[in-house]
Amino acid sequence: MLSRSAERLYWMARYLERTENTARLISATMHLIYDLPYGVELGWRNLLNICGVEEAFYQRFKNPSEQNATRFLLADMNNPGSLLASLSFARENIRTSRELMPDEAWQQVNEMYLYANNNLDSLSNRRGRALFLQEIMAGCQRFTGFMAGAMSLSDSARFICIGRNLERADMTSRIMDFGTVLLAENRSDKMREYETMLWINVLKSLSAVLMYRKHVRNRIKGEDVLNYLLKNPDFPRAVLHCLEEITHCIKRLPHAVELYPHLEQLEQHLLAIDIQQASPQQLHQVLDGLQSQFDDLHRQIAATWFFNNHEA
Amino acid sequence: MATQSIWAQYSADKAYDEMIAAGGKSRDACASLSQYLQSLGMEAIKGRLSAAEAAIMEMGITFTVYSDEGNIDRAWPFDIIPRLIDFQEWKIVETGLKQRLKALNCFINDIYNEQQIIKDGLVPAELIASSSNFRQECLGMRPKFGSWANICGSDLVRAGDGKLYVLEDNLRVPSGVSYMIENRVITKRIFPELLENLNILPVDDYPTQLFEMLASLAPKPDDTPQIAVLTPGIYNSAYFEHAFLAQQMGAELVEGGDLLVKDDDCVYMRTIKGLEQVDVIYRRIDDLFLDPEVFHKDSVLGVKGLMRAWKAGNVALANAPGAGVADDKVVYAYVPEMIRYYLNEEPILPNVPTYLCSDPEQCAYVLAHLPELVVKPANESGGYGMLVGPHATQKEIRHFHKLIQDNPRNYIAQPTLALSTCPTLCGDKLEPRHIDLRPFILQGENSFVTAGGLTRVALRAGSLVVNSSQGGGSKDTWIINREQ
Repeated sequence: MLSRSAERLYWMARYLERTENTARLISATMHLIYDLPYGVELGWRNLLNICGVEEAFYQRFKNPSEQNATRFLLADMNNPGSLLASLSFARENIRTSRELMPDEAWQQVNEMYLYANNNLDSLSNRRGRALFLQEIMAGCQRFTGFMAGAMSLSDSARFICIGRNLERADMTSRIMDFGTVLLAENRSDKMREYETMLWINVLKSLSAVLMYRKHVRNRIKGEDVLNYLLKNPDFPRAVLHCLEEITHCIKRLPHAVELYPHLEQLEQHLLAIDIQQASPQQLHQVLDGLQSQFDDLHRQIAATWFFNNHEA
Repeated sequence: MATQSIWAQYSADKAYDEMIAAGGKSRDACASLSQYLQSLGMEAIKGRLSAAEAAIMEMGITFTVYSDEGNIDRAWPFDIIPRLIDFQEWKIVETGLKQRLKALNCFINDIYNEQQIIKDGLVPAELIASSSNFRQECLGMRPKFGSWANICGSDLVRAGDGKLYVLEDNLRVPSGVSYMIENRVITKRIFPELLENLNILPVDDYPTQLFEMLASLAPKPDDTPQIAVLTPGIYNSAYFEHAFLAQQMGAELVEGGDLLVKDDDCVYMRTIKGLEQVDVIYRRIDDLFLDPEVFHKDSVLGVKGLMRAWKAGNVALANAPGAGVADDKVVYAYVPEMIRYYLNEEPILPNVPTYLCSDPEQCAYVLAHLPELVVKPANESGGYGMLVGPHATQKEIRHFHKLIQDNPRNYIAQPTLALSTCPTLCGDKLEPRHIDLRPFILQGENSFVTAGGLTRVALRAGSLVVNSSQGGGSKDTWIINREQ
């Protein structure tokens, strides 16, 4: 396939995964904050931090209120990581890759984009926002379903799979950063009291509650949750699983050998992380390190396949 | 109370109407459709319109409009009332179109080789020498099957006498065929019961036929040819169509930057595996942007060395460079003669009477009768630079008077035809609107004509301008076979 097409599909998948994850994250945060009593030190500000947009937010807003934060994360086209911006980029990439995928896939994203644009007004109230997020999450899943049901396991599908899982791994590692707040030594008694509920919500944001329960079969503890999200090889949103998917796809592409050492090193690094022994501060650093390793992987993918001028 | 007939107020007395004959009775081929619409009633028809509009948005059927604010994707303007043509009539048109393209290809091949038609005095040498679409660089080339124009979109109009005339032949990069196919997809959604009960010829085999035709052009016929659609990119007004056709054929959709020509004069595309050779290119880029080595030096749309590769016979280009020489509206006037000259047959489809301003006598007539005529520049497309005499202001007439005097070679004139009309949903009622028809004709190893084509409709009352870039819309076109 064309290098340019490969790059577009890869980014399309990343943008769409980002769209879905932004919806998941906000939805989970909304539920969490509505459940929590006053005085618990978790708020919209944490969410902005996890999404890595705190600085950009404060350039435009003073107060990290629910209204401001959700508007910035969902509908602000000045925030390139906002849900609407990600969805627009995804749609543009699909619109320009229509020759590579089933029609239904394009129509699904196009419909979702039209839906989002027509329902921006509903974002100002909680009920409308909840429905909106639900529709977006379902829409992204429908897209994945169309692809799974009607797209050959070709190189095109592999680049989509790599993009999706890289973005997903990155997002799961960001969500795990909630843990650095929830496990902080100096956390309040109120926080300790509601801890289990908080961890359940972390799992919920990744649709992982049931699978976690079936796998861990114990009362919900922070360390177990983090371990599960980091190292479970079978749960689709666990970082290790994402990495294995990426590796599986990469190994079937031409010129893949060049990437083997990096992939191996990344997996070993991941397996060596010891959650039990890490302080919240160390955990934050470990996750940061993981994210920058994913960045490196992205750069290597781009250099190998997207700017393919080997023989030119 | 009997419902008021939706046809009660329909008056199509200004031109030949495709559905309703004089006296208000529907034409034979249209009887079922007009009765069906009648049985639905206006409210239900409007409901179907909403369904069609929603489908167009969801399917993302758009075309790009150039405007001051940049390029905007607009929803494809579509009228839900189909236009019908009887199969018996269509069979003749189909033969006529194949005949016409065959003669045109003979002409192009002759012009770039022996130029026998000029030597025999049928076509003046100056006509070719002064044609802006004649490409010196193509002299001596003989594409496979002598076929230069592989994809042709000819515009047909039905005049007041009820006959179909060829208005022009588009031999460069004719567009619209994807809309023909998508129009049918929408109609199937909104009038499924009608399509089930009537015998209507399908249109969605076009991509298959296009693929076969392109494959037949491959330089090495034994291999599975690598076919690519070359697009100027996402900002081109027909990008939707380029992507649609590439997708339907399973071909690669490439931009100039994806291709390169190496020292071996072969064309390669940059893939994740490295370079892969390309055998056939369906190019949707104008000649002059194809190859900066030969044509516009600063073109970034094309591929350096593409002409070299084509001339070496290592890649097939459809349409072949230089094919546009027969797209010239002055050349058009000679097509009936060409059919007699090359094929020794009588033309099946008539031309619209055409005055050549390059001929002093005809030019004098044109200048004296501008308010009655339609004047067209010889080499424009998309309805640009035209004068529609009866609708023009004094100032516009004076302007064209001067334009023609300054450059007579560049203009032709035709009588203003009363283009036929077709019932079109306009607000709360059906009104007659002028239409034309663009069938698509393929010629490689074999010839093929679409069953019908793209019917374009002038959405403004009285307007004769049907181009989508000028605010026209389109209709589904049904070739209806009433024989059992």
